[in-house]
Amino acid sequence: MDKNRVSADQLALMYLLIIAGGKFLSLPSILAADVGHDSWLAMCFSFLWDGVCLAFLLWAIKLNSKANMDMSAILDKSVTKVVTKIILLIFFVIFALRTNILLTSCYHMFSVTFDVSTNWIVYVLPVAAVGFFVIQKGFNALARASQLFFGLILIAVIALLVSPLMEVEFSELLPIGEAGWGKILETSFTRSFWFSDYLFMFFVMDGIKVKKHVYAPVFIAFGVGVVLTVLLNAVFVALFGSYAPSFDMAMSKIGVFSAASTLNGRWDWLTLSIWLISVFIKIVTFIYCEYKCLEKLIDKNFANVNWVLAIIITLTLMLPMLVSTETLLSTVIAWGLIPFTVVQYLLPLLMPLFTKVALNKTEVKHE
Amino acid sequence: MKELKFDKLNAVYSGEDDFRVRNMNCGIALKVVCLDPMCDDAKVSSFVLQPLAYVNDAKSLSEIEKRLAVGTGVRKPPNFFSIVEDFTNGYTLIFDGNDNCISVDTRTGVGRAIAEPPTSMVMRGPREGFIEDVKVNLTLLRKRLKTPNFKVINLTVGKYTNTAVAVCYIEGVAQKRIVDDVVQRLESVNVDGVLDSSYLARYLDVSKTVLFRRVGTTEKPDIAVGKMLEGRVAIVVDGSPMVLTLPYLFVEDMQSPGDYYENSTMTTLSRILRFISVIASVLLPSLYVCLQVYNYQIIPVKFLITILNASEAIPFSPLSEMILVLIIFDILREANLRMPSAVGISLSLVGAIVLGDAAVQAGLLGAPAVMIGALSGIGLFTFPDNTLILSLLRLLVTFIGGIMGLFGVILATLTLIIYLASMQDYKTPFLAPYAPDVPQDRQDAVAQIPVPKMKKRPRSIPNENDERRG
Repeated sequence: MDKNRVSADQLALMYLLIIAGGKFLSLPSILAADVGHDSWLAMCFSFLWDGVCLAFLLWAIKLNSKANMDMSAILDKSVTKVVTKIILLIFFVIFALRTNILLTSCYHMFSVTFDVSTNWIVYVLPVAAVGFFVIQKGFNALARASQLFFGLILIAVIALLVSPLMEVEFSELLPIGEAGWGKILETSFTRSFWFSDYLFMFFVMDGIKVKKHVYAPVFIAFGVGVVLTVLLNAVFVALFGSYAPSFDMAMSKIGVFSAASTLNGRWDWLTLSIWLISVFIKIVTFIYCEYKCLEKLIDKNFANVNWVLAIIITLTLMLPMLVSTETLLSTVIAWGLIPFTVVQYLLPLLMPLFTKVALNKTEVKHE
Repeated sequence: MKELKFDKLNAVYSGEDDFRVRNMNCGIALKVVCLDPMCDDAKVSSFVLQPLAYVNDAKSLSEIEKRLAVGTGVRKPPNFFSIVEDFTNGYTLIFDGNDNCISVDTRTGVGRAIAEPPTSMVMRGPREGFIEDVKVNLTLLRKRLKTPNFKVINLTVGKYTNTAVAVCYIEGVAQKRIVDDVVQRLESVNVDGVLDSSYLARYLDVSKTVLFRRVGTTEKPDIAVGKMLEGRVAIVVDGSPMVLTLPYLFVEDMQSPGDYYENSTMTTLSRILRFISVIASVLLPSLYVCLQVYNYQIIPVKFLITILNASEAIPFSPLSEMILVLIIFDILREANLRMPSAVGISLSLVGAIVLGDAAVQAGLLGAPAVMIGALSGIGLFTFPDNTLILSLLRLLVTFIGGIMGLFGVILATLTLIIYLASMQDYKTPFLAPYAPDVPQDRQDAVAQIPVPKMKKRPRSIPNENDERRG
């Protein structure tokens, strides 16, 4: 068995879990801070970008389904090795940043919501260990685990969404577009541009088993992810109104409105804990992608986890100890907005072309 | 000069009291040899000695093989190794003066009778169980599989024990590559002795798993046949009532022998209950500890007050208290297993009533902790084959939960599932049909559809014929 192979169905479920794992955490309040109750519209637009890029990336995956080349092989053959390395380096920074953002958010959630305060090292090391365990066992193991957790997580998310529904004042979402459509569009890009969740597919594209369909399952997953995320955003903003920007952990806050929770215990926290599995799946996926970036940067393919690479990744996870995530993020975005945009939004659009070029070159070589 | 086979055998065994040699003449000089405790005297007498005694015109051993040896199992061992193997297995050997040899099956039938296996009792369904005799066990399988497609590959494993091992499968159903793989692994086993099938299970575990069993076992022929009909291979080992089945899925441990003889709705409900029990067994103690220590808001107020009242005077932290309860339970279980059954019942009573109650009365342990520990312990027995490992996992997750709270429990659960999902032996994913999802196989995993509707064999188990009726 190729330990990194995933089926189209597994890819779709993982994608849905990854959407649910990140976009429910801190993005709703970030968007609400900029465009108020129109944040759900900003969320919709951000998915529009994602949807287009996803379609192109899936096209590339389908083209690559017989050759099973990995991303760096495709880029090597189409845009030279130097450019490939630069792209990989940018990817590495993106994944390192995103992993840190997610970890910080989770850390915050555990200390504020769950009263579990620990130091950053003790918190991060077990998560990193799970990440390296996945690298050792193969991405396939994570994809299968995601399949097993999927139903449970979906039920937890739906339960969290449904529990405060009686309290929701949807009139809070009116008037639609009050913040101005230009502003909403701008926010959808500037605030959520590092939240594109399909990026991990770049690093598993050599292992994706495409039998018949790849578009249908992935786009169904995408559709469900969009509906759930937008709905959560809308419910969150409708519940908290103008206070929404102050509640940075949307998912843990909406359960407060469940009428019975205080009498019968905060059962919503248990569902929240189940949902947190998707956050950890996302973090672990990003650690896997970071590792693959490093492997490809040094042109190696290790059978077992390489400890030097593992230490480098662990050190990147320690960054929030030195600099606050906000500072880190603003600095990197100030310097890296263009390269980040290129690899996240331009590269997927160009991937089918690059794949065709790479396939042609491979065929010529074989002839 | 080349040493004769009989002389070689004689040289090895001549000093032994149970080595019997009888010189006879029935036209040609013969030596009849047997190993006394391994042979049935009546069979030696009626299959070998009596026929030879009444003949005096035989010209060759081949003629004797055709005319005289009336036993059903008569053969010519091809080499000295086979001669020794037959001899030690209870065959009677007949040598002529030209170093030719034939062996006649006179094995003794000493052993217990077929009975209902104590580990797989059923309310409905067949009550026959395997015993320690490989021949009887194969008969039990053949009795249920009256088809020429039922194949048996006989092997001998163990340097000193020369244990007979039979690899059984249904041709056209089991995948030949899996059969060959199993046979190859068994042939490569290099060990002094095989005293039970569990010895071989370790060699058949391809990925050498530290946790969890990777080879199925059954004491019931109907279950073994059921598994073979799904494409699995059964391995019968002489001296063991446990028949191994391969490939093995995690869900098999959730399935009880009686499941196929009950209404499928009832079976589904029972399996769901078992599934919930095992999850609760592993996670409940850890959740109790981490909710008490970190997230008491999750617990309903009234229940929280009960817990607080019960644990107010307890000198231990919630984590130590729960670990103590779990360890006491494990000690009781271990002691119970090793005690004779009559004493075992007393021990259970002493453990459960006296020890538990006294500990609560003395204020050493809280009643909720004892109750959760006991509930968790009982739940483990719904997965009888993995009780020990689940018990260990429960301790580990409780410890992690006590130290790291829900964060630790989530990470531990995720890691455990990733570990289980990564396991794949004989091209069969351990967590199939759920991870990976194999819709066709969900018909008989946790939920079970009625048997008449099961038209396909499970795809998770590699097979050569997908149709159950073709």
